[in-house]
Amino acid sequence: MNNDAVIETVQLSKRYGNTLALDHLDLCIARGAIHAIVGANGAGKSTLFRILLGFLPPTSGSARILGRDCRALTPQDRGRIGFVNEEHTLPSWMRVSAVIAMQRRHYPRWNQQAFDGVIGHYQVRAEQKVSQLSRGERAGFNLALALAQSPELLVLDEPTLGLDVVAKRAFLESLLYSNASDTCTVIYCSHQMDEVERVAENLIILERGQLKNMSAPDEFCARVSHWIADIPFQGPPPASVPGLLQVQRIDGLHHYLVLDQDEDFGEFLRASGARSTRSMPVSLDRAVNGFLAKNHAAPLAA
Amino acid sequence: MSRTHPLMIQIATGDPRAISKQIVDGVRMQIATGEIKVGSQLPSVRGLAQQLTINPNTVAKAYAELVAEGWLEARQGLGLYVAPPRQRLSDAERERRLDEALQRLVHEAIALGISGDEVLSRLAAEFRALDLRKSA
Repeated sequence: MNNDAVIETVQLSKRYGNTLALDHLDLCIARGAIHAIVGANGAGKSTLFRILLGFLPPTSGSARILGRDCRALTPQDRGRIGFVNEEHTLPSWMRVSAVIAMQRRHYPRWNQQAFDGVIGHYQVRAEQKVSQLSRGERAGFNLALALAQSPELLVLDEPTLGLDVVAKRAFLESLLYSNASDTCTVIYCSHQMDEVERVAENLIILERGQLKNMSAPDEFCARVSHWIADIPFQGPPPASVPGLLQVQRIDGLHHYLVLDQDEDFGEFLRASGARSTRSMPVSLDRAVNGFLAKNHAAPLAA
Repeated sequence: MSRTHPLMIQIATGDPRAISKQIVDGVRMQIATGEIKVGSQLPSVRGLAQQLTINPNTVAKAYAELVAEGWLEARQGLGLYVAPPRQRLSDAERERRLDEALQRLVHEAIALGISGDEVLSRLAAEFRALDLRKSA
């Protein structure tokens, strides 16, 4: 057991009928920093969180959060974990002041300063009902509540989905520059690569219930390169292309997005009949998308 | 009045260069063009992070690289300052990089059908413009 890990799963599997949502997942997330988790829909993120938070039993393997077995979490353990989901589910009939009073009672380590620091980014008044708040205000209120509970671990699941640009910026600012978030580990699930680029120090990629990457975002980015080759007639059969993520034929040129290839890839292309080859680095957005699109069907245009 | 020199740099997400690399490039350019002078104090890690809406650790990483390369120096408890210029690379490495840049320029000029004389005069004009900005 690793004491410096906030999340640790060993051979964790979850089966729904014939589908393996989590496939013998070994995941160890170190304490501290902001970790982004990305994965296509169905990669197993939601299942993972449900198991981690103790809402769902695993089929096999084990999962620990903050050093505790996920199947035996006490209310005290849960109090150490903050959770903000995309819907920002809060009781719509309650007034803001009543929600605050309720949370303050629930969490012994309630930090009013942290709450005020975040809510100051938004125009939320105590007498308003939750149902009267805009989506952005609800997101901010939700984040303020989560940080005020002084969590050791804060899980944000697509927190900025559906927010406008102003609300999104306010959300990122209140997360990145509030003192409360300095002391906790943040797990940030998002498909928005511009946000991941701005906030994340570690990039975790899940695919089909398996861990595919765990590194700094720029290190992952450096693994992917974009090659353009002028190959008269047909290119090499896709199955023979090393590290292939994506291939496209545009205006008669072959575009290859490949993983973990060095200059030798140019040799491969020339040996496959390329008259000229060029390579360039790609953005994080392109790298992640190419990686996740690997197993998706795509037409090879003529 | 703040003692911090404003840092007028932009970053873009979706760029092949990581954000910390963009900061390193931006600061180096500002120092090289005299936009920020030797001895000027740079924004704090948190301050620049807030200005650019990015993770403070990304700024810290960029600043650490600039310190390691000798562009900035830390003064204990005060912050980061632009360091006096010194030879940052070996002669051979400088020679190699200059050669690479020249080759690129020459190839580009030939491809564009521009004469050597015109390239030279344009180059001279660029350097004069830099000198003007420095002395301004």
